[in-house]
Amino acid sequence: MSDNKAVPEQPLLDLSRRKFLKGSTGLTFAIGASGFISALGVAQGTAAFSSNPGEALQANMWVTITPANTVIVKYAGTEMGQGSMTHVPVMLAEHLDADWDKVEVDIIKKHDMAYGNPVFQNMLYTAGSTHVAVYGGKMKMAGAQARKLLMLAVAEDWGVELSSLTTEPSLVVHAASGRKINYGDIVGTMALPTEAPAVDKSEFKSESAYRYIGQSVMRRDVPAKSNGTEQYGMDVQVAGMAYAAIKRAPVEGERPLKVIDTEARKVKGITDIVTLPYGVAIVGNTVEGTKKAKALLQVTWSETSPFRQKSSDTALEEYAKNAKDLSISGPAWILGKGKAKETLAAADNVLEALYTSDAAYHAQMEPLNATASVSKDGKSAEIWVGTQTQSLTILGSAETLGTTEDKITLHPLTMGGSFGRRSELHQQFIDDALLVSKALKRPIKVIWSREDDLEAGAFRTAAAQFLRGAFDKEGNLLAVHHRVSAPEVLPTMNKLRWETVKPRDVIAMMGSENSTYDIPNHLPEHVVQDRCSRVIAYRGIATSYTKFAMESFIDELAHTQDMDPLAFRLKLCRNNPRMTKVLETVAEMADWGRPREKGVGLGLAISGYHKSLSAGIVELTVDSDSGAIHINKYWGVGDAGRIISPRNAQAQLLSNIIFGLSSALKEKVEIKNGIVQQTNFHNFNILRMNEVPDIDCKMTATNNHSTGVGELGMAMTAPSIANAIFSITGKRIRHMPLRPEVVSAALKS
Amino acid sequence: MTEIHLNGKVVSIDAEPDTPLLWVIREHLKLTGTKFGCGLGQCGACMVHIDGETTYSCLTPLSVVGDREVTTIEGLSPNSDHPLQKAWVELEAPQCGYCQSGQIMRAADLLSKNKNPSHDEIVNHMSTNLCRCGTYPTIVKAIKLAAEESENV
Repeated sequence: MSDNKAVPEQPLLDLSRRKFLKGSTGLTFAIGASGFISALGVAQGTAAFSSNPGEALQANMWVTITPANTVIVKYAGTEMGQGSMTHVPVMLAEHLDADWDKVEVDIIKKHDMAYGNPVFQNMLYTAGSTHVAVYGGKMKMAGAQARKLLMLAVAEDWGVELSSLTTEPSLVVHAASGRKINYGDIVGTMALPTEAPAVDKSEFKSESAYRYIGQSVMRRDVPAKSNGTEQYGMDVQVAGMAYAAIKRAPVEGERPLKVIDTEARKVKGITDIVTLPYGVAIVGNTVEGTKKAKALLQVTWSETSPFRQKSSDTALEEYAKNAKDLSISGPAWILGKGKAKETLAAADNVLEALYTSDAAYHAQMEPLNATASVSKDGKSAEIWVGTQTQSLTILGSAETLGTTEDKITLHPLTMGGSFGRRSELHQQFIDDALLVSKALKRPIKVIWSREDDLEAGAFRTAAAQFLRGAFDKEGNLLAVHHRVSAPEVLPTMNKLRWETVKPRDVIAMMGSENSTYDIPNHLPEHVVQDRCSRVIAYRGIATSYTKFAMESFIDELAHTQDMDPLAFRLKLCRNNPRMTKVLETVAEMADWGRPREKGVGLGLAISGYHKSLSAGIVELTVDSDSGAIHINKYWGVGDAGRIISPRNAQAQLLSNIIFGLSSALKEKVEIKNGIVQQTNFHNFNILRMNEVPDIDCKMTATNNHSTGVGELGMAMTAPSIANAIFSITGKRIRHMPLRPEVVSAALKS
Repeated sequence: MTEIHLNGKVVSIDAEPDTPLLWVIREHLKLTGTKFGCGLGQCGACMVHIDGETTYSCLTPLSVVGDREVTTIEGLSPNSDHPLQKAWVELEAPQCGYCQSGQIMRAADLLSKNKNPSHDEIVNHMSTNLCRCGTYPTIVKAIKLAAEESENV
């Protein structure tokens, strides 16, 4: 935030509470194609107090109202398709009773911890489906406070009781006299209170009076995304810029020893070849020239990196061996309960199972890219990029340049998907642009090819999980020990966060906690391994593999008790009415109790994400020879409390089930001697439209606190499929993804 | 200089004959609605129409375009009011949106030849185009809606 210049306190008629943005008519905004205030070309006004009527009112840190009757809401996140750039500001607009058509959304572009996400140490960070849950309360208070401030001004000006006033969208109304005034005119003509009013809970707009929450307000970015005008990082054009392609060392940790660029330099438009610590940049006036020259560049790489010894198959074997070796212990993850290890040591019958999962690639449709313009002294920079975190992008870029955060000007742009890929402190593609721009003293746009995106990929880590469980004599589940054998992710992804949370690595462990089932002794333990590749957060964080293991294991436990998988879970959820309701709802949708014909299997799994809950059921057949799975139908139910936009929540649940099915059934990343084997969408296949099964899913409406909807569908898909296959074949598939060769081998074992 | 017919106009470009049409459109002519996704004809984000047929612009060298008419998402309709675009907005089809120009161009090709495609015809036709967010079911609905709206005109 900009500094405020205080003026002497004066009575009500004084406007010293009013904070203005520079310029007598408020702001000169460039409105982006989405209707958002664009990251490009925004005139950032200098905030200052003023007593001139007719200027914009910054009612509090979140909302500004202009005399032209525009409401500007600050948004602390960035948009990657999840919709929170609309639906978080909607919550403020609701409680301000603003006319949504008169609201503009202003993305915060600074590292300002006052606006930070408390889940991420007050960094500006859009991840983990946290924004609705974390910012909802702030939006409600900020909106309600601004509304009350406007109403107090009107009460004073008109000489009426505050209690006699009401609001209609962007209007204060005095019903007794029939007078109305719009918010802009209040700001433009009336004196405002000198004190920001306190707002009591009882003054919040009642849910029955909501105009927007629960009404599926259309996402602001949809029109521009339907006519090609939305501005992604890939679309940035900066005056004087050159393009750079990066030939990166094929193995992490290697460096260029010798570069032969004679042929590359002959390509038309090539201006420079820049050697970087980890690769070589080919710079020129056209994208096509840099691509052509890159193919002609000959580089001799060092051969000393330990990653040359890394292969995904041997790494996973090692992870699995260590998962089962109980002499190796590691840090407990959150929400452990009771004494699982001791209980299991004393138990007569302990069920044990090992689950493994491969690395996973985000495959966001927009290949990674960044544009940077570094100053001639190398100490300041302007950056145009799609990023999940304004804070870390600014802090990481400052570190790369050896400068301070105030020297970094960030223009956050819409992301063509991300799913965790753009969430690091140091993003490789941003460093590419910074280093090349610094070397050449001109703006540089770096575009990774799809091949670069895979070759230099940072992945959801592979993992092995060893689960152990035991019952008491009455058949009550007594203890579960969930060992997750995987590398730590945070030390390389975000060392700042790691310093505050170590040794608990949320990125490797999330979902191994048990917040759903009634299990008196539960221990999630991180068996820390060496990483085999670059690692980073993925959609659903670790839940995509921890729930695969836990929900498969729950089925295995149920089977030992001759219990139906649904009845077993309901018994374990008897103290959790929300989860019970979700389970009952999905079971009803799938008609769980109805026997299917021979060869048709049903499988169930639950998931959850922070406080949001979900459950899914799949009906499928499997070809025992080929191992090919055919899904007849998928049913899913989510509960994320009060839903801000039913349509967006539904879309997120549905599309996340599709993402989950793609990941569970098809996607595999292999690493051999440090080199990623998949190169593009011909050998890294994601689900196409003709492979999407019939899906029936819904969010249940509950009055609980609003929480995230972006990652509810993912994690239940793989275990529900594995459980369904067991129901027809009696064989457990304990490896994910459940590709045909994996299923076929398991069925033949 | 090479001349091409783009969105109803003749434009000149100083680019090598083997330059993919994608980069001509996006970076030479600054029409950035057409997207780069894979460079290999695998994802469909780069799709444009050449004489009405959907074409992977990433695989099409400038030299083969000739005097055929190239249409990008920017040229699909005068005011973003193609029935598909209206349906896309009405049903909120896009999430991240990056693939959607290609999806719309692909769907427009279908509707220009088949006014009332069946569910299976839509799915088969559209399976050239990837969407990582998973908006496929909404895209199917939007195409059906656009087909209905077009019939009612």
